[in-house]
Amino acid sequence: MQTGLMALGAGIAVGLGAIGSGLAQARIGAAAMAAIAEKPELTGRAILMVAIPETLVILGFAVAAMIIVLL
Amino acid sequence: MPAPMVKVQIAGPKKRLEEALDRLYRLRLLQLTPAGSEPVLELAPYPGDAERAARVEELRLRIAQLDGLLALGETSGEAGPTEASSEAELARELGELMPRVEELTARIDDLRTEAAVLPRYLAPLRLLLPLVPELAALDESALDALQLDTIVLVIGTEDDSVLVALRAALRDLVGERFELVSARVDSDAVGCVIVLRHEDADAVRELLGRERVRSLPLPAAYESLSFRGAVAAMERRLDELPAELDRTSDELRNLLAPQAPSRRATRSALAAKLDQVEAIEQLGETRRAFVIVGWTPRRELARLRDELDRTASGELVLEQLDERDAEPPVLLANWRLARPFEFLIRLFDLPRSRALDPTLLMALFLPLMVGVMVGDVGYGVVLLGLSVFVRRRFGGGSPAVRDLARVFFAGALWAVVFGFLFGEAFGDIGHRLGLRALWIYRDGPDAVEPLLVFSLVLGAVHVVLGLALGLWEAARKRSSAELLERSGSLLALVGVFALAGVAVDRLAGIALLPAAAAIALGLTLLIGPRGALGLIMGPLEFVGTLGNVLSYLRVGAVGLASAYLALVANRLGALGPIWLGLFVALFFHVLNLALASFSPMIQALRLHYVEFFSKFYEGGGQPFRPFGERAAQ
Repeated sequence: MQTGLMALGAGIAVGLGAIGSGLAQARIGAAAMAAIAEKPELTGRAILMVAIPETLVILGFAVAAMIIVLL
Repeated sequence: MPAPMVKVQIAGPKKRLEEALDRLYRLRLLQLTPAGSEPVLELAPYPGDAERAARVEELRLRIAQLDGLLALGETSGEAGPTEASSEAELARELGELMPRVEELTARIDDLRTEAAVLPRYLAPLRLLLPLVPELAALDESALDALQLDTIVLVIGTEDDSVLVALRAALRDLVGERFELVSARVDSDAVGCVIVLRHEDADAVRELLGRERVRSLPLPAAYESLSFRGAVAAMERRLDELPAELDRTSDELRNLLAPQAPSRRATRSALAAKLDQVEAIEQLGETRRAFVIVGWTPRRELARLRDELDRTASGELVLEQLDERDAEPPVLLANWRLARPFEFLIRLFDLPRSRALDPTLLMALFLPLMVGVMVGDVGYGVVLLGLSVFVRRRFGGGSPAVRDLARVFFAGALWAVVFGFLFGEAFGDIGHRLGLRALWIYRDGPDAVEPLLVFSLVLGAVHVVLGLALGLWEAARKRSSAELLERSGSLLALVGVFALAGVAVDRLAGIALLPAAAAIALGLTLLIGPRGALGLIMGPLEFVGTLGNVLSYLRVGAVGLASAYLALVANRLGALGPIWLGLFVALFFHVLNLALASFSPMIQALRLHYVEFFSKFYEGGGQPFRPFGERAAQ
């Protein structure tokens, strides 16, 4: 029972983080593509902007890893 | 650091200007800057004159004409003279050639239009013919003899009631003296033939015009034929058209192709001349001399001087100018092995001229991170092969592809190294064949913790290195605020690491107090220089820096995902019959390989661009564009 709940908790931590990252990246990605179409020299910065919200899912992963490894 | 640049002025007598510009153009060592805006020199800008403007226009026109001809006569493997023609020869050649080229291109356009238009007549006629079989056989003279006229219509409508309305309108106009047959051409168009007496025709045409119904008059060539004859003639013509189009295109190509290499050479010669004439605008002058001002890499200065001494009978003088206040253009100059990574720096933003160039550090860390994430001997070897293949096959034409292939090659090498450390070759196949892990099996139960700790340590090293570089930059610029903030971040970060060390019993409890003190002092340094705003911004920035370190967990996470996908591929492959298992395993390994060649690179790039560069990087440099660069492209 406890192991199951821990697994669920870890899954939720990563999953919600991923949903959050996805929502943010969808908007940033659309804007970034539009910007690159106008100015291709912005490609590098666009990658950077799109990549920023990924931290959310990484933090979610950190929590999940802590649940699994430490508890 | 980017290559150091020096600002120079080159002066010479005006009669030597063309010679000097031509030499500089070929050397590609000097980026011109407007000489008139040099405050020390106080030069008048080189005067513009109508003759030069006309020359620029003439050169542009010739280049555009040549571009047009080259685009028309594009063939592969053409042979022919490759010498550039002189401008007089070119003018004569174009004068002879252009009328014929224009005639042929017009003919090709006509043929293409005909091929597009004829089916628009054919489709309704084909449908309507069976409805009026007797009429279809009558040609113009027979219709005239019968005093009959025909009108073909295509009405764009989905609604059949339009036809009822048309029939009613015709009946109002000419009574019963008409015949209307119709058939649906497609879902939103109806084709009609109206047969009517000759004397009613004008009235009906007027009615149709008033109601804005467009009739479809046959092209003149088919007017005198019967409907059936016209359809047959159109079909024949449509069959003939592709061959005729090919013939005419071939004729045009044969006319242009033999001279294409020579024209290409002429074009680049003209483009060079245009560049040189246009460059004169940037020059300055005195009564008898011209003055060229520009930037050149310091290491090329001696060569530039030597070359100029040998040009124009030694009448050119090169002097170095004071460049302290000016922002030089940026030319990245790295070791040969690190040079492909300059592409990734340019993709982000060029560093400022006197700031740090992180290419070398990127060349060290980026492939390592990619290697940790892929971490598989099998995938590494395949990626090595792929990168060599891509570089050989596609790298010739595009420097960007060549550089990227080399970056991938370095990443793949590290992937093989970490593959041995993890004992992986195509997942656990290597393990089963006796490959021993030199460090940990990533798909084992105890792999998560060491892998994540390794990622965090890698992150800590990278971020601390970034902060240390930031400190150095701040010290060089003598910016005390940045110096305080970055040392605050560094100190607080070290304190947090010590605290974590105590928490996991790696450090003795006695370290607790110094750690807390380091955090407190670091935060104070972060808050201090910003004043009241610092109370919010300081801690926020520190949390951001901690987040940056945590962000490196992705190195372990992506690696674990890759290892598990490979494991899943092998486990699924072991189920069911062997042929299906092979297919499934192959599918998943190819999928994993596709992910491995893309995702780790993006993640490693992101770690550099966001986490590492934000600690020290100063972008916004303008690239060094030497005079004559366009000739090289």
